[in-house]
Amino acid sequence: MQKCKRQACFAPDTGCDLGYLNLSKCSEWTGRTTPDSIDVELTDEVLLPWSGSALGLADLGFVAGRARPMVVGIAGPQNAGKTTLLGAWYLLLGRGAVGLEDRQFAGSFSLTGWEAVAGSLRWNPGQPPSFPPHTTSRSGRAPGLLHLSFWDARLARVTDYLMTDAPGEWFQRWSVNRDSAEGAGARWVSAHADVLLLVADREALSGENMGSARGALQLLARRVAAERRGRPVALVWTKSDIEITNQIEQSVREAVRGTMPDAEEFSVSVVSSGPGKHEVGVGLVELLNWILAIRRPHVELPSPSATSNDPLFMFGARTS
Amino acid sequence: MSRDSILLLGESGVGKTHFGAQLLRRLMKGDGHLRMSGQATNLEPFESALESLNEGKAAGHTATSTYMDSVWPVADVAGHQAELVWPDYGGEQIKSMISSRRVPNAWQSRVRQAPAWLLLIRLQQTRFGEDIFSRPLGDLRGAAIENRELQISDQARLIELLQMLIFVGGAATGRQADRPRLGVLLTCWDELDFDGTPAAALEERLPMLAAFVRSTWYAPSIMGLSALGRPLSPHDKDSDYVSRGPEHFGYVVKPDGLHSSDLTLPIQMLLDGLR
Repeated sequence: MQKCKRQACFAPDTGCDLGYLNLSKCSEWTGRTTPDSIDVELTDEVLLPWSGSALGLADLGFVAGRARPMVVGIAGPQNAGKTTLLGAWYLLLGRGAVGLEDRQFAGSFSLTGWEAVAGSLRWNPGQPPSFPPHTTSRSGRAPGLLHLSFWDARLARVTDYLMTDAPGEWFQRWSVNRDSAEGAGARWVSAHADVLLLVADREALSGENMGSARGALQLLARRVAAERRGRPVALVWTKSDIEITNQIEQSVREAVRGTMPDAEEFSVSVVSSGPGKHEVGVGLVELLNWILAIRRPHVELPSPSATSNDPLFMFGARTS
Repeated sequence: MSRDSILLLGESGVGKTHFGAQLLRRLMKGDGHLRMSGQATNLEPFESALESLNEGKAAGHTATSTYMDSVWPVADVAGHQAELVWPDYGGEQIKSMISSRRVPNAWQSRVRQAPAWLLLIRLQQTRFGEDIFSRPLGDLRGAAIENRELQISDQARLIELLQMLIFVGGAATGRQADRPRLGVLLTCWDELDFDGTPAAALEERLPMLAAFVRSTWYAPSIMGLSALGRPLSPHDKDSDYVSRGPEHFGYVVKPDGLHSSDLTLPIQMLLDGLR
Protein backbone atom coordinates (compact mmCIF):
# COMPACT_ATOMS: atom_id res chain seq x y z
CA MET A 1 0.00 0.00 0.00
CA GLN A 2 1.40 3.32 -1.02
CA LYS A 3 1.26 6.44 1.06
CA CYS A 4 -0.58 9.51 -0.08
CA LYS A 5 1.71 11.90 -1.94
CA ARG A 6 0.33 14.94 -0.14
CA GLN A 7 2.64 15.84 2.69
CA ALA A 8 -0.09 16.76 5.10
CA CYS A 9 -2.05 13.57 4.55
CA PHE A 10 -1.23 10.34 6.28
CA ALA A 11 -3.59 8.06 4.42
CA PRO A 12 -3.94 5.14 4.64
CA ASP A 13 -2.84 5.28 8.30
CA THR A 14 -5.46 7.91 9.03
CA GLY A 15 -8.39 9.19 7.06
CA CYS A 16 -7.92 11.38 4.01
CA ASP A 17 -7.37 14.94 5.12
CA LEU A 18 -9.35 16.23 2.17
CA GLY A 19 -12.33 14.48 3.66
CA TYR A 20 -12.83 11.67 1.14
CA LEU A 21 -14.30 8.69 2.89
CA ASN A 22 -13.48 6.52 -0.09
CA LEU A 23 -9.83 6.99 -0.95
CA SER A 24 -10.29 5.99 -4.57
CA LYS A 25 -12.44 9.07 -5.09
CA CYS A 26 -9.62 11.40 -4.02
CA SER A 27 -7.85 12.91 -6.98
CA GLU A 28 -4.57 13.04 -5.09
CA TRP A 29 -4.61 9.41 -4.09
CA THR A 30 -2.45 7.21 -6.31
CA GLY A 31 -1.87 4.38 -3.90
CA ARG A 32 -2.83 0.98 -5.20
CA THR A 33 -3.41 -2.09 -3.23
CA THR A 34 -0.78 -4.63 -4.09
CA PRO A 35 -1.91 -8.04 -3.01
CA ASP A 36 1.46 -9.15 -1.68
CA SER A 37 2.05 -6.22 0.65
CA ILE A 38 0.54 -7.08 3.97
CA ASP A 39 2.10 -4.43 6.17
CA VAL A 40 -1.05 -2.36 6.29
CA GLU A 41 -4.08 -4.06 7.64
CA LEU A 42 -6.89 -3.51 5.21
CA THR A 43 -10.17 -2.89 6.91
CA ASP A 44 -13.51 -1.85 5.69
CA GLU A 45 -13.62 0.83 8.35
CA VAL A 46 -13.63 4.56 7.87
CA LEU A 47 -10.66 6.23 9.46
CA LEU A 48 -10.93 9.75 10.74
CA PRO A 49 -8.56 12.46 9.63
CA TRP A 50 -8.19 13.89 13.12
CA SER A 51 -6.80 12.12 16.13
CA GLY A 52 -8.23 14.34 18.83
CA SER A 53 -4.83 15.28 20.17
CA ALA A 54 -3.38 18.75 19.83
CA LEU A 55 -2.98 19.60 16.17
CA GLY A 56 0.33 19.99 14.41
CA LEU A 57 1.12 21.84 11.21
CA ALA A 58 0.25 18.81 9.08
CA ASP A 59 -3.27 18.70 10.51
CA LEU A 60 -3.99 22.32 9.77
CA GLY A 61 -5.24 21.62 6.27
CA PHE A 62 -8.18 19.71 7.63
CA VAL A 63 -9.25 22.37 10.14
CA ALA A 64 -8.48 25.30 7.90
CA GLY A 65 -10.49 23.87 5.02
CA ARG A 66 -13.66 25.71 6.00
CA ALA A 67 -12.05 29.09 6.46
CA ARG A 68 -8.82 30.37 7.87
CA PRO A 69 -9.01 29.85 11.62
CA MET A 70 -8.20 32.60 14.06
CA VAL A 71 -4.88 31.79 15.69
CA VAL A 72 -4.51 32.93 19.28
CA GLY A 73 -0.82 33.17 20.15
CA ILE A 74 -0.04 32.88 23.83
CA ALA A 75 3.45 34.20 24.56
CA GLY A 76 5.15 34.25 27.92
CA PRO A 77 8.01 32.88 29.95
CA GLN A 78 7.98 29.32 31.21
CA ASN A 79 5.84 28.48 34.20
CA ALA A 80 3.80 31.65 33.62
CA GLY A 81 0.51 29.77 33.36
CA LYS A 82 -0.08 29.62 29.62
CA THR A 83 -1.24 26.02 29.65
CA THR A 84 -3.27 26.57 32.82
CA LEU A 85 -5.07 29.41 31.06
CA LEU A 86 -6.06 27.04 28.26
CA GLY A 87 -7.09 24.30 30.66
CA ALA A 88 -9.19 26.73 32.67
CA TRP A 89 -11.05 27.90 29.57
CA TYR A 90 -11.83 24.34 28.61
CA LEU A 91 -13.11 23.54 32.09
CA LEU A 92 -15.30 26.62 32.05
CA LEU A 93 -16.73 25.61 28.67
CA GLY A 94 -17.33 22.14 30.05
CA ARG A 95 -19.16 23.56 33.03
CA GLY A 96 -21.23 25.85 30.86
CA ALA A 97 -20.05 28.64 33.12
CA VAL A 98 -18.85 30.83 30.32
CA GLY A 99 -21.18 33.75 29.75
CA LEU A 100 -20.25 34.05 26.11
CA GLU A 101 -21.90 36.90 24.30
CA ASP A 102 -24.00 35.36 21.53
CA ARG A 103 -21.45 32.60 20.97
CA GLN A 104 -21.79 28.90 21.57
CA PHE A 105 -19.34 26.07 21.69
CA ALA A 106 -19.61 24.21 18.41
CA GLY A 107 -17.10 21.42 18.61
CA SER A 108 -13.38 20.79 18.58
CA PHE A 109 -11.09 18.49 16.67
CA SER A 110 -8.63 18.32 19.54
CA LEU A 111 -10.85 17.22 22.40
CA THR A 112 -8.30 14.74 23.72
CA GLY A 113 -5.70 17.48 23.69
CA TRP A 114 -8.01 19.75 25.65
CA GLU A 115 -8.76 17.00 28.11
CA ALA A 116 -5.04 16.43 28.60
CA VAL A 117 -4.49 20.11 29.29
CA ALA A 118 -7.45 20.38 31.65
CA GLY A 119 -7.09 16.95 33.24
CA SER A 120 -4.74 18.02 35.98
CA LEU A 121 -7.08 20.82 37.06
CA ARG A 122 -9.74 18.23 37.85
CA TRP A 123 -10.29 16.32 41.02
CA ASN A 124 -9.57 12.71 40.23
CA PRO A 125 -10.09 9.88 42.67
CA GLY A 126 -7.33 10.15 45.20
CA GLN A 127 -5.73 13.09 43.48
CA PRO A 128 -6.28 16.75 44.20
CA PRO A 129 -6.00 19.12 41.25
CA SER A 130 -2.67 20.65 40.40
CA PHE A 131 -1.34 22.88 37.70
CA PRO A 132 -0.67 21.19 34.37
CA PRO A 133 2.84 19.78 34.06
CA HIS A 134 5.44 21.85 32.33
CA THR A 135 5.02 21.97 28.54
CA THR A 136 8.20 20.34 27.39
CA SER A 137 10.36 22.19 24.95
CA ARG A 138 10.75 20.01 21.94
CA SER A 139 12.78 21.13 19.03
CA GLY A 140 9.54 21.73 17.21
CA ARG A 141 9.00 24.35 14.61
CA ALA A 142 5.41 24.93 15.57
CA PRO A 143 3.49 24.75 18.83
CA GLY A 144 0.73 22.34 19.66
CA LEU A 145 -2.53 23.84 18.48
CA LEU A 146 -5.78 23.35 20.32
CA HIS A 147 -8.89 23.78 18.27
CA LEU A 148 -12.25 25.26 19.23
CA SER A 149 -15.23 26.18 17.10
CA PHE A 150 -17.78 28.74 18.10
CA TRP A 151 -21.17 29.19 16.56
CA ASP A 152 -22.29 32.75 16.16
CA ALA A 153 -26.08 32.69 16.18
CA ARG A 154 -26.33 36.29 15.03
CA LEU A 155 -24.25 35.80 11.90
CA ALA A 156 -25.28 32.12 11.59
CA ARG A 157 -21.69 31.12 11.11
CA VAL A 158 -19.03 28.97 12.72
CA THR A 159 -15.60 30.43 13.44
CA ASP A 160 -12.62 28.23 14.20
CA TYR A 161 -10.01 29.17 16.76
CA LEU A 162 -6.60 27.66 17.28
CA MET A 163 -4.90 28.32 20.58
CA THR A 164 -1.16 27.81 20.71
CA ASP A 165 0.28 25.78 23.54
CA ALA A 166 3.99 26.51 23.34
CA PRO A 167 6.77 26.07 25.89
CA GLY A 168 8.01 29.28 27.50
CA GLU A 169 11.63 28.62 26.62
CA TRP A 170 10.86 29.31 22.97
CA PHE A 171 9.73 32.82 23.78
CA GLN A 172 12.72 33.46 25.99
CA ARG A 173 15.09 32.55 23.17
CA TRP A 174 13.01 34.48 20.64
CA SER A 175 12.91 37.62 22.77
CA VAL A 176 16.72 37.64 22.92
CA ASN A 177 17.34 36.68 19.31
CA ARG A 178 14.57 36.90 16.75
CA ASP A 179 16.28 34.42 14.45
CA SER A 180 17.45 32.00 17.09
CA ALA A 181 17.19 28.35 16.16
CA GLU A 182 15.49 27.43 19.45
CA GLY A 183 12.91 30.15 18.90
CA ALA A 184 11.57 28.75 15.64
CA GLY A 185 8.29 27.81 17.28
CA ALA A 186 7.90 31.27 18.79
CA ARG A 187 8.56 32.72 15.35
CA TRP A 188 5.76 30.59 13.97
CA VAL A 189 3.39 31.91 16.63
CA SER A 190 4.41 35.47 15.94
CA ALA A 191 4.09 35.03 12.20
CA HIS A 192 0.66 33.38 12.20
CA ALA A 193 -1.19 34.59 15.26
CA ASP A 194 -4.18 36.85 14.76
CA VAL A 195 -4.25 37.81 18.43
CA LEU A 196 -1.28 37.84 20.77
CA LEU A 197 -1.52 37.39 24.49
CA LEU A 198 1.51 38.51 26.45
CA VAL A 199 1.48 36.60 29.69
CA ALA A 200 2.98 38.24 32.78
CA ASP A 201 3.51 35.89 35.68
CA ARG A 202 2.77 37.64 38.97
CA GLU A 203 4.30 34.81 40.93
CA ALA A 204 7.66 35.21 39.22
CA LEU A 205 7.38 38.99 39.54
CA SER A 206 6.93 38.68 43.29
CA GLY A 207 9.51 35.98 43.90
CA GLU A 208 13.20 35.96 44.50
CA ASN A 209 14.12 36.43 40.88
CA MET A 210 11.66 39.23 40.24
CA GLY A 211 14.35 41.42 38.75
CA SER A 212 15.25 38.96 36.04
CA ALA A 213 11.59 38.03 35.50
CA ARG A 214 10.84 41.70 34.90
CA GLY A 215 13.81 42.04 32.58
CA ALA A 216 12.75 39.00 30.55
CA LEU A 217 9.21 40.30 30.29
CA GLN A 218 10.37 43.71 29.14
CA LEU A 219 12.49 42.09 26.45
CA LEU A 220 9.57 39.94 25.35
CA ALA A 221 7.27 42.95 25.26
CA ARG A 222 9.66 44.83 23.01
CA ARG A 223 9.98 41.81 20.73
CA VAL A 224 6.23 41.42 20.48
CA ALA A 225 5.87 45.14 19.83
CA ALA A 226 8.40 44.96 17.01
CA GLU A 227 6.75 41.96 15.40
CA ARG A 228 3.07 42.54 15.97
CA ARG A 229 2.26 44.38 12.71
CA GLY A 230 -0.77 46.06 14.17
CA ARG A 231 -2.39 42.91 15.50
CA PRO A 232 -4.32 43.12 18.75
CA VAL A 233 -2.26 42.43 21.84
CA ALA A 234 -3.35 41.88 25.42
CA LEU A 235 -1.22 41.97 28.52
CA VAL A 236 -2.48 39.14 30.71
CA TRP A 237 -1.49 39.08 34.37
CA THR A 238 -1.74 35.47 35.45
CA LYS A 239 -2.06 34.29 39.06
CA SER A 240 -3.73 37.60 39.83
CA ASP A 241 -4.33 36.50 43.43
CA ILE A 242 -0.64 37.13 44.16
CA GLU A 243 0.43 40.56 45.32
CA ILE A 244 3.35 42.25 43.61
CA THR A 245 4.93 45.59 44.37
CA ASN A 246 3.65 48.67 42.64
CA GLN A 247 6.99 49.52 41.11
CA ILE A 248 7.31 46.16 39.40
CA GLU A 249 3.74 46.31 38.13
CA GLN A 250 4.24 49.81 36.84
CA SER A 251 7.50 49.05 35.08
CA VAL A 252 6.03 46.03 33.28
CA ARG A 253 2.96 48.03 32.32
CA GLU A 254 5.12 50.83 31.02
CA ALA A 255 7.23 48.43 28.99
CA VAL A 256 4.07 47.18 27.31
CA ARG A 257 2.13 50.42 27.06
CA GLY A 258 5.17 52.39 25.98
CA THR A 259 5.57 50.34 22.83
CA MET A 260 1.97 49.20 22.37
CA PRO A 261 -0.34 51.92 23.67
CA ASP A 262 -3.47 50.12 22.46
CA ALA A 263 -2.71 46.89 24.34
CA GLU A 264 -5.59 45.63 26.46
CA GLU A 265 -4.96 44.50 30.00
CA PHE A 266 -6.49 41.54 31.84
CA SER A 267 -5.90 39.92 35.21
CA VAL A 268 -6.75 36.25 35.43
CA SER A 269 -6.63 33.59 38.08
CA VAL A 270 -8.12 30.14 38.51
CA VAL A 271 -8.67 30.94 42.17
CA SER A 272 -12.12 32.47 42.40
CA SER A 273 -12.50 35.41 44.70
CA GLY A 274 -15.41 34.97 47.03
CA PRO A 275 -17.66 31.95 47.41
CA GLY A 276 -20.44 31.35 44.94
CA LYS A 277 -22.26 28.53 43.24
CA HIS A 278 -20.63 29.07 39.91
CA GLU A 279 -16.98 29.66 40.52
CA VAL A 280 -15.45 30.96 37.36
CA GLY A 281 -12.07 32.19 38.51
CA VAL A 282 -11.09 35.77 37.83
CA GLY A 283 -11.01 37.45 34.45
CA LEU A 284 -10.97 34.23 32.42
CA VAL A 285 -14.36 34.72 30.85
CA GLU A 286 -13.69 38.38 30.10
CA LEU A 287 -10.45 37.50 28.32
CA LEU A 288 -12.14 34.79 26.23
CA ASN A 289 -14.93 37.17 25.30
CA TRP A 290 -12.42 39.77 24.24
CA ILE A 291 -10.65 37.23 22.02
CA LEU A 292 -13.89 36.03 20.46
CA ALA A 293 -14.96 39.57 19.68
CA ILE A 294 -11.85 40.24 17.59
CA ARG A 295 -12.26 40.28 13.84
CA ARG A 296 -9.49 40.16 11.33
CA PRO A 297 -8.99 43.47 9.54
CA HIS A 298 -11.28 43.44 6.58
CA VAL A 299 -12.58 45.70 3.90
CA GLU A 300 -16.21 46.47 3.45
CA LEU A 301 -17.17 47.26 -0.07
CA PRO A 302 -19.60 50.09 -0.53
CA SER A 303 -22.92 48.84 -1.77
CA PRO A 304 -23.47 49.95 -5.36
CA SER A 305 -26.19 52.49 -5.76
CA ALA A 306 -29.13 51.22 -7.71
CA THR A 307 -30.47 53.31 -10.51
CA SER A 308 -33.75 51.60 -11.03
CA ASN A 309 -36.30 49.57 -9.14
CA ASP A 310 -36.43 46.96 -11.85
CA PRO A 311 -34.31 44.02 -10.67
CA LEU A 312 -33.14 43.32 -14.20
CA PHE A 313 -31.82 46.83 -14.71
CA MET A 314 -30.85 47.62 -11.16
CA PHE A 315 -27.12 47.89 -11.75
CA GLY A 316 -25.16 49.42 -14.54
CA ALA A 317 -28.04 51.16 -16.27
CA ARG A 318 -27.06 54.34 -17.99
CA THR A 319 -28.56 57.39 -16.46
CA SER A 320 -29.74 59.76 -19.11
CA MET B 1 -33.40 1.63 3.96
CA SER B 2 -36.39 3.80 3.39
CA ARG B 3 -36.41 7.55 3.49
CA ASP B 4 -37.96 7.75 6.89
CA SER B 5 -35.57 5.76 8.93
CA ILE B 6 -34.37 6.80 12.31
CA LEU B 7 -30.95 5.84 13.54
CA LEU B 8 -30.85 5.03 17.19
CA LEU B 9 -27.61 5.94 18.97
CA GLY B 10 -26.70 5.14 22.51
CA GLU B 11 -23.90 3.67 24.54
CA SER B 12 -24.41 0.49 26.47
CA GLY B 13 -26.75 0.62 29.40
CA VAL B 14 -28.81 3.60 28.29
CA GLY B 15 -31.84 1.42 27.71
CA LYS B 16 -32.15 1.00 23.98
CA THR B 17 -33.65 -2.46 24.18
CA HIS B 18 -36.11 -1.50 26.89
CA PHE B 19 -37.30 1.47 24.89
CA GLY B 20 -37.56 -0.67 21.78
CA ALA B 21 -39.61 -3.33 23.54
CA GLN B 22 -41.94 -0.85 25.17
CA LEU B 23 -42.31 1.16 21.98
CA LEU B 24 -43.09 -1.97 20.03
CA ARG B 25 -45.85 -2.84 22.43
CA ARG B 26 -47.37 0.65 22.20
CA LEU B 27 -47.21 0.61 18.41
CA MET B 28 -49.03 -2.71 18.32
CA LYS B 29 -51.62 -1.50 20.77
CA GLY B 30 -52.10 1.52 18.55
CA ASP B 31 -53.49 4.09 20.95
CA GLY B 32 -50.62 6.58 20.56
CA HIS B 33 -49.71 9.06 17.88
CA LEU B 34 -48.08 6.30 15.89
CA ARG B 35 -49.33 2.81 15.34
CA MET B 36 -48.04 -0.22 13.56
CA SER B 37 -49.52 -0.68 10.10
CA GLY B 38 -48.63 -4.25 9.39
CA GLN B 39 -46.13 -6.29 11.28
CA ALA B 40 -42.47 -5.78 12.02
CA THR B 41 -40.13 -7.91 9.93
CA ASN B 42 -38.20 -9.31 12.81
CA LEU B 43 -39.09 -9.25 16.46
CA GLU B 44 -36.25 -11.49 17.52
CA PRO B 45 -34.10 -8.75 19.06
CA PHE B 46 -36.96 -7.83 21.35
CA GLU B 47 -38.33 -11.27 22.04
CA SER B 48 -36.52 -11.82 25.29
CA ALA B 49 -36.97 -8.21 26.39
CA LEU B 50 -40.72 -8.41 25.80
CA GLU B 51 -40.81 -11.65 27.71
CA SER B 52 -38.84 -10.26 30.65
CA LEU B 53 -41.07 -7.22 30.89
CA ASN B 54 -44.16 -9.40 30.87
CA GLU B 55 -42.78 -11.08 33.92
CA GLY B 56 -41.96 -7.79 35.56
CA LYS B 57 -38.21 -8.14 35.18
CA ALA B 58 -35.58 -6.03 33.50
CA ALA B 59 -34.22 -7.30 30.18
CA GLY B 60 -30.72 -8.67 29.85
CA HIS B 61 -27.80 -7.07 28.12
CA THR B 62 -27.57 -7.07 24.32
CA ALA B 63 -24.45 -8.82 23.02
CA THR B 64 -21.81 -6.61 21.45
CA SER B 65 -21.75 -8.07 17.98
CA THR B 66 -25.49 -8.21 17.62
CA TYR B 67 -26.82 -5.90 15.01
CA MET B 68 -30.17 -6.75 13.64
CA ASP B 69 -32.26 -4.27 11.78
CA SER B 70 -35.91 -4.64 12.43
CA VAL B 71 -38.18 -2.78 10.03
CA TRP B 72 -41.38 -1.47 11.51
CA PRO B 73 -44.04 -0.05 9.23
CA VAL B 74 -45.78 2.69 11.15
CA ALA B 75 -48.50 5.20 10.43
CA ASP B 76 -49.60 8.26 12.33
CA VAL B 77 -53.15 9.33 13.09
CA ALA B 78 -53.34 11.35 9.89
CA GLY B 79 -52.46 8.26 7.90
CA HIS B 80 -48.90 9.21 6.95
CA GLN B 81 -46.94 6.04 6.37
CA ALA B 82 -43.34 5.68 7.40
CA GLU B 83 -40.92 2.87 7.81
CA LEU B 84 -39.00 2.78 10.98
CA VAL B 85 -35.76 0.88 10.89
CA TRP B 86 -35.17 -0.04 14.44
CA PRO B 87 -31.63 -1.19 14.96
CA ASP B 88 -30.78 -3.08 18.08
CA TYR B 89 -27.17 -3.50 18.96
CA GLY B 90 -24.83 -3.79 21.89
CA GLY B 91 -23.90 -0.31 23.02
CA GLU B 92 -20.26 -1.35 23.14
CA GLN B 93 -20.19 -0.95 19.38
CA ILE B 94 -20.60 2.78 19.93
CA LYS B 95 -18.01 2.78 22.65
CA SER B 96 -15.41 0.93 20.60
CA MET B 97 -16.08 3.26 17.70
CA ILE B 98 -15.16 6.18 19.91
CA SER B 99 -12.09 4.59 21.44
CA SER B 100 -10.66 3.07 18.27
CA ARG B 101 -11.60 6.11 16.19
CA ARG B 102 -12.74 3.84 13.39
CA VAL B 103 -16.20 3.74 11.99
CA PRO B 104 -17.20 0.39 10.50
CA ASN B 105 -18.51 0.51 6.99
CA ALA B 106 -21.85 -0.90 8.04
CA TRP B 107 -22.25 2.08 10.33
CA GLN B 108 -21.25 4.46 7.61
CA SER B 109 -24.11 3.45 5.37
CA ARG B 110 -26.46 3.46 8.33
CA VAL B 111 -25.43 7.00 9.23
CA ARG B 112 -25.65 8.21 5.64
CA GLN B 113 -29.08 6.81 5.00
CA ALA B 114 -30.79 7.95 8.14
CA PRO B 115 -32.33 11.39 7.82
CA ALA B 116 -32.88 11.54 11.56
CA TRP B 117 -30.81 10.43 14.53
CA LEU B 118 -32.10 9.72 17.98
CA LEU B 119 -29.39 9.96 20.60
CA LEU B 120 -30.11 8.25 23.89
CA ILE B 121 -28.28 9.57 26.93
CA ARG B 122 -28.65 8.30 30.44
CA LEU B 123 -27.62 11.28 32.53
CA GLN B 124 -27.24 9.12 35.60
CA GLN B 125 -24.41 7.30 33.83
CA THR B 126 -22.43 10.43 33.10
CA ARG B 127 -19.92 11.64 35.59
CA PHE B 128 -19.57 15.30 36.23
CA GLY B 129 -16.23 15.57 37.93
CA GLU B 130 -15.24 18.25 40.34
CA ASP B 131 -12.53 20.64 39.27
CA ILE B 132 -10.76 23.61 40.75
CA PHE B 133 -13.68 25.88 39.93
CA SER B 134 -16.36 23.82 41.65
CA ARG B 135 -14.14 22.84 44.54
CA PRO B 136 -11.28 25.28 44.88
CA LEU B 137 -8.09 24.24 46.50
CA GLY B 138 -6.27 26.84 48.57
CA ASP B 139 -2.85 26.22 47.20
CA LEU B 140 -2.17 24.33 44.01
CA ARG B 141 1.46 25.18 43.86
CA GLY B 142 3.99 22.45 44.42
CA ALA B 143 1.42 19.74 43.96
CA ALA B 144 2.42 18.92 40.42
CA ILE B 145 1.92 15.30 39.58
CA GLU B 146 3.59 14.53 36.32
CA ASN B 147 1.94 11.33 35.27
CA ARG B 148 -1.78 11.27 35.47
CA GLU B 149 -4.04 8.91 33.74
CA LEU B 150 -5.94 10.79 31.13
CA GLN B 151 -9.65 10.31 31.41
CA ILE B 152 -11.87 11.79 28.79
CA SER B 153 -14.92 13.40 30.29
CA ASP B 154 -18.24 11.93 29.30
CA GLN B 155 -19.49 14.98 27.46
CA ALA B 156 -16.27 15.24 25.44
CA ARG B 157 -16.71 11.60 24.46
CA LEU B 158 -20.29 12.13 23.31
CA ILE B 159 -19.31 15.27 21.38
CA GLU B 160 -16.53 13.35 19.68
CA LEU B 161 -18.99 10.61 18.74
CA LEU B 162 -21.36 13.10 17.17
CA GLN B 163 -18.50 14.82 15.35
CA MET B 164 -17.34 11.48 14.00
CA LEU B 165 -20.83 10.61 12.78
CA ILE B 166 -21.31 14.03 11.21
CA PHE B 167 -18.03 13.59 9.37
CA VAL B 168 -18.81 10.07 8.26
CA GLY B 169 -22.27 11.15 7.22
CA GLY B 170 -20.66 13.72 4.95
CA ALA B 171 -22.23 16.72 6.59
CA ALA B 172 -19.16 18.13 8.33
CA THR B 173 -18.92 21.23 6.23
CA GLY B 174 -22.59 21.60 5.56
CA ARG B 175 -24.95 24.04 7.09
CA GLN B 176 -27.27 23.22 9.93
CA ALA B 177 -30.13 22.60 7.55
CA ASP B 178 -28.18 19.96 5.60
CA ARG B 179 -27.61 17.77 8.62
CA PRO B 180 -29.90 14.99 9.69
CA ARG B 181 -32.50 15.92 12.27
CA LEU B 182 -31.41 15.22 15.80
CA GLY B 183 -33.48 14.10 18.71
CA VAL B 184 -31.96 13.72 22.16
CA LEU B 185 -33.74 11.39 24.52
CA LEU B 186 -32.72 11.43 28.17
CA THR B 187 -33.47 7.93 29.35
CA CYS B 188 -34.24 6.66 32.82
CA TRP B 189 -35.80 10.01 33.66
CA ASP B 190 -37.37 8.53 36.82
CA GLU B 191 -33.97 7.98 38.45
CA LEU B 192 -32.87 11.52 37.62
CA ASP B 193 -35.12 13.28 40.12
CA PHE B 194 -34.99 16.50 38.16
CA ASP B 195 -37.64 19.17 38.26
CA GLY B 196 -37.73 20.96 34.94
CA THR B 197 -37.64 20.50 31.21
CA PRO B 198 -35.38 17.88 29.56
CA ALA B 199 -33.46 20.66 27.84
CA ALA B 200 -32.69 22.22 31.21
CA ALA B 201 -31.54 18.87 32.57
CA LEU B 202 -29.15 18.41 29.66
CA GLU B 203 -27.95 21.97 30.10
CA GLU B 204 -27.26 21.40 33.76
CA ARG B 205 -25.58 18.03 33.58
CA LEU B 206 -23.75 18.20 30.25
CA PRO B 207 -23.50 21.90 29.39
CA MET B 208 -20.84 21.60 26.71
CA LEU B 209 -22.75 18.86 24.92
CA ALA B 210 -25.92 20.94 25.16
CA ALA B 211 -24.13 23.90 23.56
CA PHE B 212 -22.72 21.65 20.86
CA VAL B 213 -26.12 20.20 20.05
CA ARG B 214 -27.75 23.61 19.94
CA SER B 215 -25.08 25.12 17.74
CA THR B 216 -24.77 22.19 15.35
CA TRP B 217 -28.37 21.25 14.69
CA TYR B 218 -31.33 23.29 13.75
CA ALA B 219 -34.04 22.89 16.38
CA PRO B 220 -33.00 19.62 18.01
CA SER B 221 -35.79 18.05 20.02
CA ILE B 222 -34.76 17.20 23.55
CA MET B 223 -37.10 14.95 25.49
CA GLY B 224 -37.01 12.74 28.54
CA LEU B 225 -38.00 9.11 28.69
CA SER B 226 -38.70 6.58 31.32
CA ALA B 227 -39.33 3.46 29.29
CA LEU B 228 -40.21 1.32 32.27
CA GLY B 229 -41.63 3.96 34.60
CA ARG B 230 -39.80 2.48 37.54
CA PRO B 231 -36.61 0.54 38.11
CA LEU B 232 -36.93 -3.19 37.55
CA SER B 233 -34.58 -5.90 38.64
CA PRO B 234 -33.44 -8.62 36.22
CA HIS B 235 -34.07 -11.30 38.85
CA ASP B 236 -37.02 -10.33 41.03
CA LYS B 237 -40.51 -9.96 39.71
CA ASP B 238 -42.43 -6.74 40.12
CA SER B 239 -45.90 -8.06 40.84
CA ASP B 240 -47.61 -4.76 39.99
CA TYR B 241 -45.99 -4.94 36.57
CA VAL B 242 -47.16 -8.46 35.99
CA SER B 243 -50.74 -7.83 36.96
CA ARG B 244 -51.26 -4.53 35.12
CA GLY B 245 -49.04 -5.26 32.12
CA PRO B 246 -45.94 -3.34 31.01
CA GLU B 247 -47.95 -1.26 28.53
CA HIS B 248 -49.34 0.73 31.45
CA PHE B 249 -45.92 1.85 32.57
CA GLY B 250 -43.41 4.25 31.13
CA TYR B 251 -43.74 7.87 30.11
CA VAL B 252 -42.18 10.52 27.94
CA VAL B 253 -41.25 14.00 29.17
CA LYS B 254 -42.14 16.45 26.43
CA PRO B 255 -39.90 19.45 25.66
CA ASP B 256 -42.18 21.63 27.80
CA GLY B 257 -41.64 19.37 30.81
CA LEU B 258 -45.11 17.74 30.80
CA HIS B 259 -45.38 13.99 31.07
CA SER B 260 -47.16 11.88 28.50
CA SER B 261 -47.72 8.16 28.50
CA ASP B 262 -47.41 8.04 24.70
CA LEU B 263 -43.97 6.54 24.13
CA THR B 264 -44.23 7.07 20.39
CA LEU B 265 -43.96 10.85 20.77
CA PRO B 266 -40.17 11.16 20.32
CA ILE B 267 -40.36 9.21 17.07
CA GLN B 268 -43.42 11.11 15.96
CA MET B 269 -41.67 14.44 16.52
CA LEU B 270 -38.64 13.37 14.49
CA LEU B 271 -40.81 12.10 11.66
CA ASP B 272 -42.79 15.33 11.75
CA GLY B 273 -39.59 17.28 11.38
CA LEU B 274 -38.71 15.35 8.24
CA ARG B 275 -41.89 16.24 6.44
